[in-house]
Amino acid sequence: MRVAHVALFQLLPLLLLAACSRREAVTSDSGPANGAAPPGIRANAAPPVAKAPAAPAASLDLNTLEAQLRETKAIGLFTKITLKNQVDDLLGQFRKYYQGKAKPTMKDLRRSYDLLMMKVLSLLQDEDQRLATAIVSSREAIWRLLANEKTFATLQG
Amino acid sequence: MHRLTGVLAHALVVAALFALPTSADDDEALKKDLTAVIALHGLPCGKVVAVKVLAESDYNASCEDGNRYHVHLNAEGRVVVEKQK
Repeated sequence: MRVAHVALFQLLPLLLLAACSRREAVTSDSGPANGAAPPGIRANAAPPVAKAPAAPAASLDLNTLEAQLRETKAIGLFTKITLKNQVDDLLGQFRKYYQGKAKPTMKDLRRSYDLLMMKVLSLLQDEDQRLATAIVSSREAIWRLLANEKTFATLQG
Repeated sequence: MHRLTGVLAHALVVAALFALPTSADDDEALKKDLTAVIALHGLPCGKVVAVKVLAESDYNASCEDGNRYHVHLNAEGRVVVEKQK
């Protein structure tokens, strides 16, 4: 059981990827990492007006997000493994899609992705609001990585 | 000797008092975990009200709506939920 628990956190790669992509966004932006605007705003290319005051750290870097997923008590061990199974299944569907083997359309994949995110957020939102917020803010960034064949391929390597 | 026995008995009572709530907490956490797992598989249940531990990572869960499920981790590392009759 302990082994499974350790292995678990090499899972939920989508969520960790969110943190990666967020880090890239921050790097490509000249703004300070900790004073970044809320991620949803950043993803939608905010107009070039005066920068808003530093928001509370809603977004997380990779290490922090990984640590919080590892430590959150909002999700039980079996639930985490089940989520990992479903993340793996979704990644498998993307892989087949890009190989031209799968019937699902990108629209179908988006629906599956949204459903999976909703499951994760449903489990987190009541007991780990902060982590849920960080994941919500990373949602579109994760999708962009998955929905692009080139970036998806780099994730598989 | 009597003094030592008394100390040991006291220690056991204290240990038991601390152990009981932990066990109950674990039990509730397991029920909650299995409730979420069954829901993630899209199966009807409501809440898990009783759990029988069959082995490590192997449970029989009874739901408040009367459904019962065998929940276990298979060799491929997948959580499997099977409806019991």
